[in-house]
Amino acid sequence: MSVSSASPEVVDSSRMPDPRRSAFRRKLSRWDVKVSPYLFISPFFVLFFVAGLFPLVYTFWVSLHDWNLIGGQGDFVGTKNYTYVLQQPLFWKGLRNTFSIFLLSGVTQTLAALVLAAVLNQNIRAKSFWRMGVLLPYVVAPVAVGVIFNKMFADKSGLINTLIDKVGLGPVGWHADVLSSHIAIATMVNFRWTGYVTLIFLAAMQAIPREIYEAAVVDGASRLRQFVSITVPMLRPTIIFVVITATIGGLQIFDEPRVFDQAGQGGADRQWMTVTMYIYELGWGSQKSFGRAAAVSWILFLVIIAVGIINFLITRRISSGSAKAPARAVRVVEGRTR
Amino acid sequence: MRRPKALAVISSVLVVGVGLAGCTSGSSSSGSSKSAGGTQKVTLTVATFNEFGYEELIKEYMTLNPEVTVQQKKAATSNEARDNLNTRLAAGSGLSDIEAIEVDWLPELLQFPDKFVDLKSDSVKDRWLPWKAAQATTADGKLIGYGTDIGPEAICYRADLFKAAGLPSDRAAVAALIGSTWDSYFAAARQFQAKSKVPWTESSGAIYQAMINQVKNAYEKDDGTVIATDNPEVKAIYDTVLKASDDGLTARLAQWSDDWTSSFQKDGFATMVCPGWMLGVIEGNAAKVAGWDVADTFPGGGGNWGGSFLTVPTQGAHPDQAKKLADWLTAPEQQIKAFKAKGTFPSQQAALTSPDLLGVTKPFFNDAPTGQILANRAKAVTVAPFKGPKYFAINDAMQQALSRVDVDKTDDAASSWAKFVTAVKALG
Amino acid sequence: MTSSTLAGGLAGPGAAKHAERRRGRAKVPGTRPGWVTYSIMGVVLILSAYPLYYAFLLGSSDAQTIAQNPLPSLLPRGNFGANVQRVISADIRFWRALANSAVIAVLTSLSVVFFSTLAGYSFSKLRFRGRGPLLVFVIATMAVPTQLSIVPLFIVMSKLGWTGRVEAVIVPAMVTAFGVFWMTQYLESALPFELIEAARVDGCSMIRTFWHVALPAARPAAAMLGLFTFIGSWTAFFWPFIVLGSSNPTLPVAVQLLQASYFKDYSLILAGVTVSALPLIVVFFFAGRQLVAGVMAGAVKG
Repeated sequence: MSVSSASPEVVDSSRMPDPRRSAFRRKLSRWDVKVSPYLFISPFFVLFFVAGLFPLVYTFWVSLHDWNLIGGQGDFVGTKNYTYVLQQPLFWKGLRNTFSIFLLSGVTQTLAALVLAAVLNQNIRAKSFWRMGVLLPYVVAPVAVGVIFNKMFADKSGLINTLIDKVGLGPVGWHADVLSSHIAIATMVNFRWTGYVTLIFLAAMQAIPREIYEAAVVDGASRLRQFVSITVPMLRPTIIFVVITATIGGLQIFDEPRVFDQAGQGGADRQWMTVTMYIYELGWGSQKSFGRAAAVSWILFLVIIAVGIINFLITRRISSGSAKAPARAVRVVEGRTR
Repeated sequence: MRRPKALAVISSVLVVGVGLAGCTSGSSSSGSSKSAGGTQKVTLTVATFNEFGYEELIKEYMTLNPEVTVQQKKAATSNEARDNLNTRLAAGSGLSDIEAIEVDWLPELLQFPDKFVDLKSDSVKDRWLPWKAAQATTADGKLIGYGTDIGPEAICYRADLFKAAGLPSDRAAVAALIGSTWDSYFAAARQFQAKSKVPWTESSGAIYQAMINQVKNAYEKDDGTVIATDNPEVKAIYDTVLKASDDGLTARLAQWSDDWTSSFQKDGFATMVCPGWMLGVIEGNAAKVAGWDVADTFPGGGGNWGGSFLTVPTQGAHPDQAKKLADWLTAPEQQIKAFKAKGTFPSQQAALTSPDLLGVTKPFFNDAPTGQILANRAKAVTVAPFKGPKYFAINDAMQQALSRVDVDKTDDAASSWAKFVTAVKALG
Repeated sequence: MTSSTLAGGLAGPGAAKHAERRRGRAKVPGTRPGWVTYSIMGVVLILSAYPLYYAFLLGSSDAQTIAQNPLPSLLPRGNFGANVQRVISADIRFWRALANSAVIAVLTSLSVVFFSTLAGYSFSKLRFRGRGPLLVFVIATMAVPTQLSIVPLFIVMSKLGWTGRVEAVIVPAMVTAFGVFWMTQYLESALPFELIEAARVDGCSMIRTFWHVALPAARPAAAMLGLFTFIGSWTAFFWPFIVLGSSNPTLPVAVQLLQASYFKDYSLILAGVTVSALPLIVVFFFAGRQLVAGVMAGAVKG
């Protein structure tokens, strides 16, 4: 295996007899190399400028005003909306609930998905069937999810409490207690998203060369050892990706807590109201205060960025130690084929 | 070779897709064009939610007025319709020519009356029950909505459970027992409770709602000043309702929750505050349960829960045509037709005397003459409570305060009230 | 280097035997996994399929039975066909909704996969000024809560005259930050530089390099991205509801209309939900076959 990193120009000019045409080609090619990257990423940025930037700027502008959803723009109030929001016990409750549900669901999902993906990565019969099966929860509409999980988690007549009752333990206040409601909602979230994360890991596992596994097997590594020493380290970029996107998504959880009861406000004592639900309540609910809702949106945005960075650094630190193993394995494989 | 094939497939899909996108772009909203005869052809859109019963009516209107095409845009629930309306109001465009609204939305919409056309006209003078028309009228007399239906409340009860508790069970006797004051209501409740294991009613929230709707200025004075936390009437009702729960008179359920729905099948409670549209809900949830009946009474005289209006937003392109259509749709004759189609109880005074309405009986409720009963209850409503811009925010806070004590048991009456006070202050 | 050396440098006569014994116990990739694996997968499948099966169970029942027995029996009651008939004939524009959903989902997923892979290829393998900050910017855009963007986005669509048209749903979704981020990190490890250089040496322009090298290398991830985008687009409710409404609906908007009454007939609603989910299962099948390992394994050696 040897590839020369000869530049295209050298190869081109050895093919083209006409020097003028080759000069033009060279220019075109250089221009191609310089401009293409920007061209390739531009669709995202163009679309973002149209459909993403305007809402962003608009929301920021709204947050600086006294803005009723229906009435429209009011007086300029500067940071008053922000200070108001930060003084509301409801906001901090929402933050507490959001973090709690995020931790309960995010960690479980990621670990479970990792293991599940490893299991599905093997040479099983009817691969597509088993692998796609894990995604089934993702296609069920929220209304159905609400119906199903409410029947399971209803405080008096729900399936789980009935079963617990038969065993002799007391009923759990799924809609009354703070932590119980978080566990119930985290279960709903995990149900929906674990399969999704599993397939992300599975796709990434397809990129790990088989030879590394073969070499490890020849050396007598058990499957667990293969998983820990090869799969996980080689998935490091994917794990970081999952942690970041799970953080960003997890701190914005909205659908599941909303369908957890009929009122959709997160409980009488806001036991399970997340920050995004608070935004919706402020802006679309009885207050119709677009300005305050926008302020919470921006505060949440900053929180997500901060937590995202923290999670990224933690994950990178944890998995950096074992980065050497796969590199060694790759060298071994390459050595063998020479 | 794979390359050209892939390219061909993708480009053909894109072409077909873009073409289809053009075809499936749906019908345009309000438009007008000249027809051959020279009269202006107009297309009007009517936005509704739930079941207004307008399908046949719209066809009839189009036959009567050939130059008008009417399209109905439906939303499933009133909350979705509300989000839709608010988005388009906020964006300043996109509203239908006629927008149906619910009475609960009026306090905040009345703050911006210039977004809606003044619908006052001689043809609708005295058309509705006075308290209904008052709900959609601004302080300076502008009428922004034509009433469609209302939810007059009676008391639905389980005759079989009453009998088992040694109480009278035919509807006239039950009506007399419950009486027309809250004192007689609670007295009857305690009488029942002494002899039965089944709770009298399902939720304290429902009793609270009925009671507070009979207070003229519960949360705000007429000028909008918030008095909710200082108003002794509010605190008194709060305490009464929670005491009733403490004494075991309620099943401590949250309305519309899963537990509430399944309690219909489990003898969960014996009576219920019953607006007209609740009859269908009871019939569905309590399928195969025998013994339901309706008593023609309501403590405090009369009560109303819910109701809708048709408004004409100023955004629309054809306000006069829209006003004409709304006028026609909410005329007593048309409302009766809608009632026959979907059971929406009319709010028009002339409709309340219609034999079509008064003759309605419901077999599920022991053939109770629900048409007559609800018409009586509708006329018995005396108080039109003042609902200012903060009314529903405060009411929501109160319902949550009750829930905390009654259903979730996270607080006692005193600490829950304290949280209510904080929530009301935060609205400022 | 021999394997026994790697195994820890055991020497002596016992070493070979030891190595053989360990070889025998360890599973070579390619052999079939045992019953433990299949039982784990079986349990997972039952749990995953449960919500959809439950929806199907209730959808094959009727309102009265559901009111009386909230916990369903294990077998369907045979009313499914009748309920589906009611769904299709209800006043919800079922066929138009199905067509809209299909067009929107297909166009959106193709577009997202193409543009995200393009951008991902750029960010992961090409060198250009501002690469780092731009990538961070892309990721940061995911952190913006979307609850309030509905109003400004609706204003934009109004100005463009697209309210009530499927463009309003397709265009804002044509390339996503998630897709770009996903393809960037995937191509980072899955696409060796040598392949790109080989193509450049052979005289490919940037775009042709992308088409012939990057896209095939991205196949498993691209398939998954396409699948996720398709499902996300197919099941999206709020934005299509606001901007399209009931006159030109997508499937979730149409099915939601089945709830338009005070007493909700869940047998009808859940039959609608089940019918909406069935086309997705077909898409699953095609996407699953793209999860193929080691596409690039042989290419580098050559």
